[in-house]
Amino acid sequence: MRHALVLVALMLLAACERAPEVTFADAAITLPDDPTELPDLPGRDAVIANCTACHSPSTMLQQPAIPRARWESIIGKMTEVYKAPIDQSAVPEIVDYLLAAQAARPPERSAPDVAPTS
Amino acid sequence: MSGVRLTRRALIAGAGTTALAAPGLAQSLVGQLVDLGLPDGPSLRPTTPAFPGKGEMIVQRVNAPVLETPMSVFREGLITPNDRFFVRWNWPMPTAVKAGAHRVAVGGAVRQAVSLTLDEIAAAGEHVSIVAINQCAGNGRGLSEPRVTGTQWGNGAMGCAKWTGVRLRDVLAKAGIAAGATRVRFAGLDVPLVDGAPQFIKSIPLDIAMRDDVLVAWGMNDEPLPILHGFPLRIVVPGWFSTYWVKMLSTIEVLTGEDDSYYVAKSYRVPAAPVTPEDKDFPTIPITAMPPRAFITSHADGAVVAKGQPLTLEGIAFGGDCALERVDLVGEGWEMPCTLGPDEHGPYAFRRWSVTLPPLAGDLSQIGVRARNVQGAVQPDRLAWNPSGYARNVIERITLRAQ
Ligand code: HEC
Repeated sequence: MRHALVLVALMLLAACERAPEVTFADAAITLPDDPTELPDLPGRDAVIANCTACHSPSTMLQQPAIPRARWESIIGKMTEVYKAPIDQSAVPEIVDYLLAAQAARPPERSAPDVAPTS
Repeated sequence: MSGVRLTRRALIAGAGTTALAAPGLAQSLVGQLVDLGLPDGPSLRPTTPAFPGKGEMIVQRVNAPVLETPMSVFREGLITPNDRFFVRWNWPMPTAVKAGAHRVAVGGAVRQAVSLTLDEIAAAGEHVSIVAINQCAGNGRGLSEPRVTGTQWGNGAMGCAKWTGVRLRDVLAKAGIAAGATRVRFAGLDVPLVDGAPQFIKSIPLDIAMRDDVLVAWGMNDEPLPILHGFPLRIVVPGWFSTYWVKMLSTIEVLTGEDDSYYVAKSYRVPAAPVTPEDKDFPTIPITAMPPRAFITSHADGAVVAKGQPLTLEGIAFGGDCALERVDLVGEGWEMPCTLGPDEHGPYAFRRWSVTLPPLAGDLSQIGVRARNVQGAVQPDRLAWNPSGYARNVIERITLRAQ
């Protein structure tokens, strides 16, 4: 059983007799601007200044509801592991902002991902 | 390594541009909202066709790009089109690559370090194609209960494509593997712009690197790799999670010991034995091979179906690091076998399944499909919870209302 399957797998590695030509052309793209808006709450400027250079605000805003200590440890990881140059005196303000943004989330309407295609 | 360094001021300047640009662009970028079904939210995500070369994608993040495939795409075919394939970058990515100037350095424990052009890579050996699923280690993380932090994916961080390239071992042969080699490590052009931050580099054991089907690939579904998917070259490790499929490949390094780099030694790891959310300081192992999974694609949770009528359910499944053996529909205290579609693309690809239920007497509550692979791995009834939300393969359950 096992052997037969391995054989099939190898046969599917469709090997060409003579390598077809491959040509490589330069590639370039322009990424869209970031539409995620940070809610207008106290501390927003500190979040923009310290937290939006390496990733979009959605990285913060899409996290599940987490307590203060967890936010503090995430910011610690940003500083220690990812070497984010975070103004340490701004951390309490940033955490207050993230907790307030979490609490201010609007209720969500539902539109299932697997919607019928038509 | 890139010579660019980001100072605190440069970081702030970059951020300012983003913030100022945001309000006016929000409307133009956002298509519709989809609900990923993440417990207690936030679960709604915008979709957009605004990324170059991409169709309608779920936006997890614009920078660095993280895009999810809507589940409806998996109903349309077993091969995920390039323009609907999920995208995931850990650090901001280069947006331009000059093919003529690109080199792949092969070094470390080799007989003769070499720097190869793209043409030299293409000439390194026989050209091979394999259809294989590329799935993020964190696919489905957002569905974890209790919730965990990280990219809050639904189940759309996976796709199945035909990858074309040369065998990694043929590329390694250009340099010659030296005695004592243990692992092969890959790095791409995506380097962090802050000093001292860990680069996204990953390694695989030598025996995996020498496999017949582990590739240095330039083709994705018979097209050049799109830049969002790692142009000009990416590593392909069929059956293993996407984290090893390093994109924009620029360095191959043969190691003689363990890999102590961050993304192998510290991150992308799972508990060695089951843990609870209260557990701390347990041993971990790197996440590697994929377990089996199956999905219902014909019906969404909460969909209404006809009472008194037979019902046909359909979907996709895969075996993980070996072929799929069977799929069963499971309910609360009952199960029935599903019929597998033909094996169209080999052991590492999606495969169809379907099942027809007798006329429905009432709601179908908490039904799901359970895949089993030829090595006997079966999807579990309960989530193997882990703090990073990796390797989710619990049976996904939905409820259908009969009316
Ligand atoms: C130097 C770059 C950098 C800066 C600045 C930065 N981060 Fe991060 N952050 C990262 C990287 C890298 C990741 C992991 C990205 C990924 O997985 O795609 C990450 C991930 C995250 C996550 C996801 C959760 C997790 O555990 O991975 C959160 C939340 C987060 N950052 C919050 C913040 C906050 C809050 C700030 C500001 C105080 C911040 N970041 C500043 C680099 C940075």
